[in-house]
Amino acid sequence: MNALDALGNPVRREILTELRRSPMAVGTLAQRFSVSRPAISRHLRVLQDAGLVTTEERGTQNVYAVRVQGFRAVRAYIDSFWDVALSRLEALAEE
Amino acid sequence: MIQKSVVLRCDPARAFGLFTENAGEWWPADRRHTDDVESTIHMQSSGRFFERASDGTEIELGVVRVFEPPERLVLDWYPGTGPANATRVDVRFEAVEHGTLVSVTHDAGAATAETFARNAAAYSRSWDSVLACFLVTSTLP
Repeated sequence: MNALDALGNPVRREILTELRRSPMAVGTLAQRFSVSRPAISRHLRVLQDAGLVTTEERGTQNVYAVRVQGFRAVRAYIDSFWDVALSRLEALAEE
Repeated sequence: MIQKSVVLRCDPARAFGLFTENAGEWWPADRRHTDDVESTIHMQSSGRFFERASDGTEIELGVVRVFEPPERLVLDWYPGTGPANATRVDVRFEAVEHGTLVSVTHDAGAATAETFARNAAAYSRSWDSVLACFLVTSTLP
């Protein structure tokens, strides 16, 4: 799943918002949500596959953190909007 | 922060006019928020920034914050979301040899950045929150 599709889910966006405040283990994260811990784990896997979070082993726990580079796709979305828009504007000025 | 520019072969007054009055003609067809790919898009000195479909349906896209022809246009930008998730678009029009340099800066905006820092959770419910999050993050060293 690409980054934009992964971001299409509100729970995953909330997870990212929490992780942006501070990296944390799945258990800590799950306490802040009304959905089950296995569901949180599944969302984390999707986010990880999309390159939006990273994980690091600390003792017996996996700690998750936001991966800023993964947001390139988000940036690309806005970037391409303006690339297309300004080239159309340029053509319009030629008319 | 995203910065883009283009040189238009016309004077700043016409460039500003094309940008604000003919937005429906340059706005990408696949990024419309009504069902009408030929909808018109309006950026008005009154402050309104909206899309209008041919059936008359109107959708607010943001707010015009600064309308200073032919030099500057600043928009609160929230297509698809709402004012709580606005990003900021700042457009400058500058006369150069043989035309007008149009520079677009699209970022989280000072207000968004401050609000985000204060209360990240408030930004957790929409697509643009992630964008705002990213834009803020990307301006950090």
